[in-house]
Amino acid sequence: MFHWLEKHPFFFAVGVFIAIAFAGLIEILPNFAQASRPVIGTAPYSTLELAGRHVYIKNSCNACHSQLVRPFKSETDRYGHYSLSGEYAYDRPFLWGSKRTGPDLMRVGNYRTTDWHENHMKDPHSVVPGSIMPAYKWLFTNKADIDTVYAEQLTVAQHFSVPYNQDVPMRDGSVKNVKMAQSLSEAHEIALEEAKAVAVDMKDQDVKDAVSRGEIPEIVALIAYMNSLK
Amino acid sequence: MNKLYLWGIIVVAIMFGATAYTLVLTGGGNKSLTDILSGDIVNALAITGAAALVVITVFVVIKYVRQMQVDSATGDLADENWDGIGEYKNSLPTGWAVMFLLTMVWGMWYWTIGYPVNAYSQIGEYNEDTAVHNAKFEAKYKDITGDRLVEMGESVFLAECKVCHGINADGIDGKAANLNHRIDAASVKHVIENGSNNKLLGFEMPMPDRNGLMNANSGYAPITDAEIELVSRFVANGMTGEGAEVFAGTCVMCHGADGMGVDSMGPNISKFDTVLVTNVLTHGKKGMIGVMPKFDRLNDKQKEAVGAYITNISK
Repeated sequence: MFHWLEKHPFFFAVGVFIAIAFAGLIEILPNFAQASRPVIGTAPYSTLELAGRHVYIKNSCNACHSQLVRPFKSETDRYGHYSLSGEYAYDRPFLWGSKRTGPDLMRVGNYRTTDWHENHMKDPHSVVPGSIMPAYKWLFTNKADIDTVYAEQLTVAQHFSVPYNQDVPMRDGSVKNVKMAQSLSEAHEIALEEAKAVAVDMKDQDVKDAVSRGEIPEIVALIAYMNSLK
Repeated sequence: MNKLYLWGIIVVAIMFGATAYTLVLTGGGNKSLTDILSGDIVNALAITGAAALVVITVFVVIKYVRQMQVDSATGDLADENWDGIGEYKNSLPTGWAVMFLLTMVWGMWYWTIGYPVNAYSQIGEYNEDTAVHNAKFEAKYKDITGDRLVEMGESVFLAECKVCHGINADGIDGKAANLNHRIDAASVKHVIENGSNNKLLGFEMPMPDRNGLMNANSGYAPITDAEIELVSRFVANGMTGEGAEVFAGTCVMCHGADGMGVDSMGPNISKFDTVLVTNVLTHGKKGMIGVMPKFDRLNDKQKEAVGAYITNISK
C-alpha cells in the first residue's frame, strides 16, 4: 500500500491532509470550544457601547492600540488582569490589534474616566505632554450611527445567540440584563438614554446641548465603549 | 604511515601553535599559557573543546579521504532499483542505532519526569513569576519609611497618577484635583452644596448636602450662602482666616476642631494623610471635577507610598 501511495503523489497528499486534519480536530476544537465561551462578567455590548465600537473601528484605533493583555507581570502591572479567550465572545470582529503604538485598551475602563477621555480626544497634549496621538476633534460633531448598531444587534442576537434581554452573571454575583430594542425607534431611545448618562460627566457644552436635543455625537458613544472595557 | 596522516599532524600542530600564540598575545604579554588557562575554568573548557574539535575534524576527514582512495563497493544489492540506480542492503550503523534507542529513552523521560503532559501552562508560569516577584517586593520594601517611602511614592505617582494629576501634581489646569493643596474653595463649596459619599474613611459615611448642615451658632438654622462662602475659603486656606466660627458651629462635629478628621465620622480636610490617600486609591472618588477611578492594582505598600508622597508635596 505504501508503495502504491509513493507512486501516486495526489492521493498521498490527500492522505497526509486527512491525518493532520484529524489530529487538528481532536486536539484543537474541544479546547477551543471550551475556552471561547463567555467568561463570567462578560456581557453583550449595549446599544451605545456598540455604536462606540463602530467609531473605534471606523477611526482605526486598533491600528495603534491593542486589546490583548498577555500573561506577563510587566503587562498585568500596567494594564490589569491578563486577557481570557472568553472575554472576546461578543467581539465581532475582535480588536486585538497587532502593534502597540499607544497603550493597550483592554481594561481602560478601569483606570480612565469620561472627563479624561473627553480632554484626551479633544487635545491629547493637554493631559499627556509629548503624546504622539492625534486629536480627534470631529468625534465631537459627527453623529453616531445607531441604525447600523440596531442591525448588528438583531443579527448577532438571532444568528449567534448573543444573550440580549437575558440575565448574564457578573463577577460580583449580580446579574446584568443588556437591553436590545425591538424596533429601530426604540434603539434610538435606548442609545439616547445611555448617552445622557455619559454626557452628565462631560464638560463640552456643544456635546451636552446636542445630547439634550436628542442627538448622539460620536464622542459620547466612544466614551461609553471605552468605559465598558473592563 | 600514509602521507595524509603526516599532513594532518602538521595542520593540527600549526593550529595549536597559532592558538597558543594568540592566547598569550591577547592575555597581556607576560602571562604564561597556564596562567591564562587556570584563571577561569570556562576558558580551559572552551580551549579543550576547540582542540578536541580540531583533532577530530582533521582525522575524520583524513579517514574518509583514505576510504575514497582505497575502498571499493561491497555488499548485496537490494532487489529494487530506480532507473538503474541501486541500493546496498547495509545494516544500520551501530552508532545510529544507539542514538535512536537513546532518543526513545529520552522521550520517555521527557513525557514522564522532565516535562509531563499538562505540567506546564503559560498561566502557571505567570503565577509563579508573580508570586516570586511579590515575595521579593515584600522582603525588600517591607520596612521602608521616610524618604525612601516618599521616593517610592513618587515613582508610583509618575507611573500611574501623572496622566490626570500632571507631573507636578497640579491637576493640569483643573483637569484633576491639585494635590499640592488639600482642597480648594470651589471644591469645598461643591461638597457643602451637594453632599458627598466617597468612602474616604474606607466605608460609606455620607455627608449631607446644604439642607442637612446646620450652624450651631445661629440656632441650628441651615447654613447660608454667605456662610458657605466664608467657610469654603477658611478650609481652602488651611484652616486660617475668616470663617472659623462657621466651621466651629457646623463642621467640627465630624471633621474635628482642627479639621484633622474624627474617627469613623469624617475625613481629614486640613491636609492630606496616608490613610485618606489610601482610601481614595482603594475606592475611587467622585467630586466636583469628575470621577477618579480606583487603583486596586497597586499593592498596600505602593498605596502607602503614594500617600506619603502626596502628604510630602502638599506640606
